[in-house]
Amino acid sequence: MTPPEVSQRSPVAALVLGWILPGAGHAYAGRWGKAVLFFLCITGLVVAGLVLADGTNILPRRLWYAAQVCAGGPAVALTPVSQYVASRGPVDWADPFHEMGTLYTAVAGFLNLLVMMDAYTRLAYPHRPQDAAEQEEDA
Amino acid sequence: MWEVVASFFAHLVSADNPLWLYYPLCLVVAVVYKATKFDDPKRILRAALHFFVSVTLGMFALAIVFYLIARFL
Repeated sequence: MTPPEVSQRSPVAALVLGWILPGAGHAYAGRWGKAVLFFLCITGLVVAGLVLADGTNILPRRLWYAAQVCAGGPAVALTPVSQYVASRGPVDWADPFHEMGTLYTAVAGFLNLLVMMDAYTRLAYPHRPQDAAEQEEDA
Repeated sequence: MWEVVASFFAHLVSADNPLWLYYPLCLVVAVVYKATKFDDPKRILRAALHFFVSVTLGMFALAIVFYLIARFL
């Protein structure tokens, strides 16, 4: 029986790439299917959230931004757009669709944190069972 | 009692209620979370659907309880 192949790729690079572009950490690790899935889901949530809030919800002066910025590149790239749109007129913070849009972008950030950690652990601990089904079998 | 339940459902599906936006959000959370747990696409899909249905039904039950509390207290 041959030992499992150990990747020479850096887990920290996977973490950083995963922040710059959601799913890029998994692409770096050679998992292209998951990379595309994560990119579509997380970027889709950020864009949908911004549209729901009429482009006014990714603002650094709000506490939500701490979660939103975890979505990485898409959230950071859309920040100036959101600042510009918000500066053009009053924002209805209590509008339910605005709140929902903010929730979408914040959840996208938390999901990207999870995805980044997944990309990191897959490269940092290659000998551990990565699939929950394998873990159940080992137990 | 049934009128209360009927009004709850009527409010839930009305066009100006943004609650329906929770469903796609919950579905995306389920898919991403389960994709970090499993590698097999079929298993991801099955686990994500199970997760989605469980969370949705749980939140639905909570919503009914809170609605009844708000209505009668």
